[in-house]
Amino acid sequence: MVFKIKKNNNNEIDHQNQEFSNNEYVIECKNLNLWYEDTQALININIEFRKNKVSSIIGPSGCGKSTLLRCLNRMNDVIEGCKIEGEVLFNGKNLYASNADIRLNRKKIGMIFQKPNPFPMSIYDNITYGPKIHRVLDKDILDKISEKNLKRAVIWDEVKDRLDESAMGLSGGQQQRLCIARALAVEPEILLMDEPTASLDPIATQKIEELILDLKKEWTVIIVTHNMQQAARISDYTCFMYLGELIEFGETTQIFENPQKKLTENYITGRFG
Amino acid sequence: MTKEFHKNLDFLKQELVEMSKLAFIMLGDSITALSTSNTELAESVDLKKEKLREYDVEIETKSLQLITLYQPMAIDLRTIAAILKIITYLYRVGRYGKDIAAVVSLLNNKQPLSEIIGIKHMWEHVQSMLDDAVDSFVTDDISKLKGFSERDTEIDQLRWSIFRESVSYMMEDPRNITISAHLIMIARYLERCGDHACKIAEKVYYMVTGKHIEIT
Repeated sequence: MVFKIKKNNNNEIDHQNQEFSNNEYVIECKNLNLWYEDTQALININIEFRKNKVSSIIGPSGCGKSTLLRCLNRMNDVIEGCKIEGEVLFNGKNLYASNADIRLNRKKIGMIFQKPNPFPMSIYDNITYGPKIHRVLDKDILDKISEKNLKRAVIWDEVKDRLDESAMGLSGGQQQRLCIARALAVEPEILLMDEPTASLDPIATQKIEELILDLKKEWTVIIVTHNMQQAARISDYTCFMYLGELIEFGETTQIFENPQKKLTENYITGRFG
Repeated sequence: MTKEFHKNLDFLKQELVEMSKLAFIMLGDSITALSTSNTELAESVDLKKEKLREYDVEIETKSLQLITLYQPMAIDLRTIAAILKIITYLYRVGRYGKDIAAVVSLLNNKQPLSEIIGIKHMWEHVQSMLDDAVDSFVTDDISKLKGFSERDTEIDQLRWSIFRESVSYMMEDPRNITISAHLIMIARYLERCGDHACKIAEKVYYMVTGKHIEIT
């Protein structure tokens, strides 16, 4: 057992015999609270995500899992009436500090959404869009970035002969892998995925899942999913949320085989939610 | 869907209880038939083996169907995992009953030495362990499993006691050799049934707590 969780009341609950030094955790939330107007959506969240691991966030609709994910690269900032307290430490630095470089942090923390959202431009331009924004302008380098990241996302063989064609012509599964390649092109450290296979068929889902397992060799992946079997298949750690609270976080096998909290067990055995 | 799953799981648990009743009747009747030289009762045990096999196949098939259709988790998954293992132990218990019943006709109404050398006493110990193991499965009450290790040790001791006693009878009169040899085997079967009760207890413990234990 290799993780540590902190519960709401700040009493530390150790599910492990040994603790790891802080640099094992690439991103962590400390006493994180979030309100949409008067409604509190996240309640005192304390969680640490480990480097080069896939962590899943599960829970019933409206439990705050997507809200938590969006907090990890400050995507809630643009929502009117949203108020955030607490810290999100990325490599030890608070993302919400007044001097935090949002642009750089968002480059380091990529996001994949439920519905594939390729830009209405060519496949090649989709991949090179980010690097160009970050001032990579050399054609040879951009070519290499394009090939490298399309290969990373295991879509290169399917699109290498039509890089100039519109990305909108790709299938849903291909578009999602293109979006992953596009996120990887700016060399992030973390990939956040919000139900990345929810709109895909089983074959495309399988490809994305295989890709996620492959991605963790180099990246940390945090994924929100409502598909518990998917969480069980692909993640090393699983976090269960309910009504804005983090109920249980642990190794995926432990959460799904022998959850410690009754609420977790009731949810994953389908007794509610 | 979930209601349907839990309804099916309850049926499955009930079916396992029915299988356990059959297996225990087979073993119990075989001991009664042995001690009373009742060949008719022994034959009736043999006739039950097909039903026992049907339970084994049916429960396994239904368990796999539930896993495939509903991908259960946590306590539900552990329950099905326990059921899949327990049916194997119950099947073996019932089959030992059949094996013991087969001996009755071989003895051909000879003096029921088993009465003398405590096979029935050993059976009562085994029966009580099997009953407690299945009861704990039904009620999720693992307190009944306390002391299983000591009870199993007692059964082991009874087995060796029967062994020694049977050897004495063999030395005493060579005409006792056949029946004594059979009784040594029967004591071995009962001792194995005690082990199966322990294995059932281990699986029930896992089902309830999610933790593996070994009862030795």
